[in-house]
Amino acid sequence: MLTNPTFLFLQTLNAIALGMNLFIIAAGLTLIFGVLRVINFAHGAFFMLGAYVCYSIVEQAGNFWLGVLGAGLALALLAWAIERALLQRLYAREPLAQLLFTFALVLILGDAVKMVWGSEQYSVAYPAGLERAVDLGIAHYPAYLLFLCGLGPVVALALWLLLERTRWGRIMRAARQDREMLAVLGINVPLVYNGVFVAGAALAGMGGALAAPRLALTPGMDANIVVECFIIVIIGGLGSLWGSFLGALILGIVTVFGAVLVPEWEMVLPYALMLAVLLWRPWGLFGRAQG
Amino acid sequence: MKKMVGLSLAVLLVVALAQKGWAGESIKIGALYPTSGSGAVFGGPAMLGHQMAVEEINAAGGIDGRTPIVTFARDTKLKPAVAAAAAKELITKEGVNVLIGGLSSAVGLAISEVARREKVVYIATIPKTIQMTTSKLHPYVFRTAPNTDIEGRGIARTMGQLGAKKLCQIQFDYAYGHDLAAGIAKALPQEAAGAEIVLDLKVKLGTTDYNAYIAQIMSAGCEGVVSGLWGAAFITFAQQARPFGFFEQVKYVSGGEIASHEIASKMKGNYPDNVWSNAYELWYHDASPLHKPYQKELARRQGQQETGGWPVLSYIGVKFVEAAVTKAKSLEAEALIAALEGLSIETPVGRRTIDAKTHQANTGQFWGPMKKMDQYEFRMMDPVTYIPGD
Repeated sequence: MLTNPTFLFLQTLNAIALGMNLFIIAAGLTLIFGVLRVINFAHGAFFMLGAYVCYSIVEQAGNFWLGVLGAGLALALLAWAIERALLQRLYAREPLAQLLFTFALVLILGDAVKMVWGSEQYSVAYPAGLERAVDLGIAHYPAYLLFLCGLGPVVALALWLLLERTRWGRIMRAARQDREMLAVLGINVPLVYNGVFVAGAALAGMGGALAAPRLALTPGMDANIVVECFIIVIIGGLGSLWGSFLGALILGIVTVFGAVLVPEWEMVLPYALMLAVLLWRPWGLFGRAQG
Repeated sequence: MKKMVGLSLAVLLVVALAQKGWAGESIKIGALYPTSGSGAVFGGPAMLGHQMAVEEINAAGGIDGRTPIVTFARDTKLKPAVAAAAAKELITKEGVNVLIGGLSSAVGLAISEVARREKVVYIATIPKTIQMTTSKLHPYVFRTAPNTDIEGRGIARTMGQLGAKKLCQIQFDYAYGHDLAAGIAKALPQEAAGAEIVLDLKVKLGTTDYNAYIAQIMSAGCEGVVSGLWGAAFITFAQQARPFGFFEQVKYVSGGEIASHEIASKMKGNYPDNVWSNAYELWYHDASPLHKPYQKELARRQGQQETGGWPVLSYIGVKFVEAAVTKAKSLEAEALIAALEGLSIETPVGRRTIDAKTHQANTGQFWGPMKKMDQYEFRMMDPVTYIPGD
């Protein structure tokens, strides 16, 4: 099978498309953790909500890109309200309280999705212009998945520039290191926290919208993705952007090739991978050892 | 004297009624379909077919004009444990005479087990796993649905006619997928000589990302694909497979009733080329003189001309109960079993006969290619071929 060039070519592209889609979602998780130090279990629920919002907008307006934007916007709004009304009261408490809170969000949002959209399975069509296959010489490949392959690096670069080259990014990096010092310097730290949580959730929402044509929408679709995101973030190193990028690529490769080469081990492989990385580099590939 | 005459007449009447035993009494049917959650897409229409048959019979005064049917419906939620508990409750609390229904092979086997223990007749109208009428067969279970061997033969025969030799297979990794694969394997040598399955993929139930499997089939160079991905799963699979040029490369022959109008009307213009599949009933195909009036009434109830193929399954189940009670002249389980064995009735989709030994009805299915239509936005099966169940 591995000597079949078509197989290798198609599955490698599949792995990259999956990995890049996962990266966009996981980037939000790692961003929130990096700055807020909150482990957001509800990230998968945000992803799911993004996919459903996109579906509804596509049904109503007929435009996929509007759906992606709308999903990002809707999640940003929701995250803003959640952070302002609830989450910000928990920063001073022990991490367990935050964990329980985000877990409660998972349950509430999961049921909310069932109430609004029901438990039927939906699908979103590939966007106009990207619904065809592209002839790549060796084989045909769906244009939309190629688009995802390209979008991942663009998003990664944009986030990197934002974090490293702008004032906003400097403040965010400073907040990660020492929030008290930042407050003393006259920066509105609660606003920074709110902004980061909103941005992270918007990334999850848009990631969900972008995943919608690749998958089908079901009420349980959040359970898998949150596990995958945590695996990515742990492999890459908590809070590291490029770590998440590499982690997502590795997970994409393991998932795609695992499913077809060793189907009996498909479920175990991602966890085995995480375990191996944890044993070798407990702080992740790009993380920094602490203490 | 007058009193004496009156009294003796009354006694005579009571004796006459007692001899009949069942006259005037009503029959209680426990109907088990998923009417909430993800199974409701098929459970809802199934319940509709059930009610339609019951109302038709009761409008004429009941079975044989004198035994009305009372339905006790329970939602199985597509879960075997829920279905088993509901079946038990229906028997012990409501005292139902017959259990009917079951959607999904796992649910069907769970209800069948309760029927065996409680000694109550169960008519399986939808579950297809072959186990129900082979390794798990018992005197109280009857199946009016087709089974995975019948369906597997339909797939093999269709592929044989198309002449594809190098085949790939993609099935769900649970009872139905395994049993259907076994049914295909059994029938392939006879129905499609020289055809061989070179790639056999098992997909986790609930998967929504098929890209890796699609790429694998594409690179295996198969001429044909046999499958049983059903319901919403096929819609998702087709959407992901089409941009790969999948349906231009292979002939896709599938069970799982993806030729039914439910799927065709949902997918409309997105329904791919080169798909051959099956259906229980097609609103545009009159396989029996009973079909036109059946379809007309169903259309009236659903409020649309084009009706789906699932209600007929539950409709036929009730009609078999009617025929069995008429023949047995009793509501006793043993008498009903004796009546059902070898029982033959005319249904909207043709004549159906229950085998006395296997308790399996000779329920075949309609098979054919799904063609684009000028006058409709959805695809239709054309031509329609009936592949019988025996």
